[in-house]
Amino acid sequence: MLNRRSVLMLGAAAAALAMAMPASADDKPFNGVQISVLLEGHPTTDAIQKMVPEFKEKTGIDVAIEVVPEQDITAKELLEFSAKSGRYDVVQNNIIYLPGFVKSGYIVPLDDFLAKHRENFDKADFVPGYFNTNVLDGKVYGLPVYGESTFVMYRKDLFEQYGLAAPKTFEDIENAAKTISEKTDKQIAGITMRGQQGIQGVYVWAAYLWGFGGSFFDASGKSALATPEGIAALDAFTKVLKDYGPVGVANFGWEENRLLFQQGKAAITLDATVNGAYNEDPAVSTVVGKVGYVPVPMKSTSPKGGSSSLAVHSMYVSAESKNQEAAALFAAWATAKEQQLKSIETDPNSGVTSLSALNSDSFGKRYGAFKEGMIAAINAGNPQYLPTVEQANEIINNTGIAVSKALAGTASAADALKEADEANNAALAR
Amino acid sequence: MRPVAAASDPTRHFFQPIIICLTVASVALTLFVIWISLHDLSLMRAGREKFVGLDNYIRFLGDPRAMAALWRTVLFTVLATVIEIALGLAVVLFLDRDFAMKRLVRTLLLVPIIMTPVVVGLTWRFLFDPATGMANYLLSLVGIAQVDWLGSPRIALFSVLVADIWQWTPFVILLVMAALESAPTDPLNAARVDGAREWQVTWYVLLPMLRRALAIVALIRAIDSIKAFDLFYIMTRGGPALSTETLNYYGYIVAFTNFDISYALAIAIILTVFTNVALLTMYSVLFPKTGDR
Repeated sequence: MLNRRSVLMLGAAAAALAMAMPASADDKPFNGVQISVLLEGHPTTDAIQKMVPEFKEKTGIDVAIEVVPEQDITAKELLEFSAKSGRYDVVQNNIIYLPGFVKSGYIVPLDDFLAKHRENFDKADFVPGYFNTNVLDGKVYGLPVYGESTFVMYRKDLFEQYGLAAPKTFEDIENAAKTISEKTDKQIAGITMRGQQGIQGVYVWAAYLWGFGGSFFDASGKSALATPEGIAALDAFTKVLKDYGPVGVANFGWEENRLLFQQGKAAITLDATVNGAYNEDPAVSTVVGKVGYVPVPMKSTSPKGGSSSLAVHSMYVSAESKNQEAAALFAAWATAKEQQLKSIETDPNSGVTSLSALNSDSFGKRYGAFKEGMIAAINAGNPQYLPTVEQANEIINNTGIAVSKALAGTASAADALKEADEANNAALAR
Repeated sequence: MRPVAAASDPTRHFFQPIIICLTVASVALTLFVIWISLHDLSLMRAGREKFVGLDNYIRFLGDPRAMAALWRTVLFTVLATVIEIALGLAVVLFLDRDFAMKRLVRTLLLVPIIMTPVVVGLTWRFLFDPATGMANYLLSLVGIAQVDWLGSPRIALFSVLVADIWQWTPFVILLVMAALESAPTDPLNAARVDGAREWQVTWYVLLPMLRRALAIVALIRAIDSIKAFDLFYIMTRGGPALSTETLNYYGYIVAFTNFDISYALAIAIILTVFTNVALLTMYSVLFPKTGDR
């Protein structure tokens, strides 16, 4: 059977034959070099794996790709890094870990390598908001593979039926959720969001936190969740979910939340932009074409940061790599516009970081329904949406406990956030 | 079988090297773990760790989250062990007769044991799904409102307990069944001849004969329940509001979310010591030095 990979190989071989001059060894200074790459299980990874033979054809570099689930990748990387094993030349991760990696000397700046390989690197082609999160002290440390933001998704048909306008504020969201929940006698949840303890709940609640004018830290870098803004944000978040949310929302992760909305059992959700790709996919969704996409509201007149997220996952080159230039070349090639354009064709990849891919026809055809909402969200995306300090993980975990306690009703928002502040400051002091 | 004097037992050439290897490995690893737990090793600050003495252990004593997790571990272990033993024993006594399909029933009992815990966790998570799960559907048939199995901090721990009981009671049944089948029938018949009622035979003759087997199964189940991890990880992630965070799961969070390796290993050592003390106490209660066995 002719699978996609063999077609690509044939195409690459034909292209090589068609060239008047056979490639000589001088064109391939890295011929025979082997690099190993650690990537997250994700549509972009699937796409890159399909294209890797072309990279070998072009450069002579052998690439061994290892794939692990996103939630396990950080621990794996840190174990290899701290053991100075040099096992991976290129690793992928969320940019919230970038400062910690740089500070520990685990990853190297890429500027010199990128300057040498202009043909695979066009800074102007990246979504600026995505690219800039990879720059620290003026040096480029990573290249963005995929990114996402957050927006509000609502059921246009239900809103029309009950005479509601598209939600612009947090109050609009609450009123609409109340109306639809009551009018349908709770048959349709007014709103659904992730409530599960940990990163899941925090990722969505942070939209409320920033939107109400709160922030994770104060000016001196201390944890400052239990501010009037933070408490109001947690109260608002828990109120809508308790009163108009589905049963069981306190244990909802991304999957449960997405499925409930796709099955048409909820009227509003606030979640990642990638959910748009699922809502608009007839194979898995019953609400294709019925969903409106609007930005996350902003209640505060003097916000400390945007209320939509900016999650970027990039490739980094390990400081222990013996072939840093080949590794950087791979990262540049894998994130270059040609490859990103192809990735839309082969995999459900709505998180492209290349402007050419984002503005291509094939992207518009697949994801046109939420493209505008997504780009607006990215442009307003807050690079500090989740903490990026070294102890980010622990702080998110502590905050998640506070959100979960308030949602479960075992503590008031004020007490839960005070407790989180104490735990966070203890972590920051360690 | 008469015990052979150890010195002349030819099998020692096989088991002694293995025991020596295992001892060396576990002692070396334990010492290494203790050594790390006396430092402040964090994966985010590798290479900058220093010796901190007993700080991690002192931190544990002043860590309310750890104390609550320890208490939850005890609660879960006691409940899981007691219910699984009682339920397993009841099923065994019920099955203790010859009937057609006995082999088939025994084979079916094996299914939960050989299922991967991750699959068990996912299965029960689906069953407990409030909107689309089987559990609430069955309740709705008898007119009971939706129960929030995994989203309510009062219920979540018991929902995980149900999954654990489902998975491990068959293990108890199998071991107790084997003990029962190898038990002599003469004492039972003698009691019946002497006019004892059936419940008296069970209570005064049969159960004392099974005591040893039950105690061993209880020990194994208690050790496993203390270490339970997969079901918690899959079903609730320690939530909601920490209501299902056991000490083992907290140790995992400290190690692989907070990257605080030293503190995580201190927790692991405390859990190990605590477990050993608890089980030795349990053992001495179950197998008193004096007495018939």
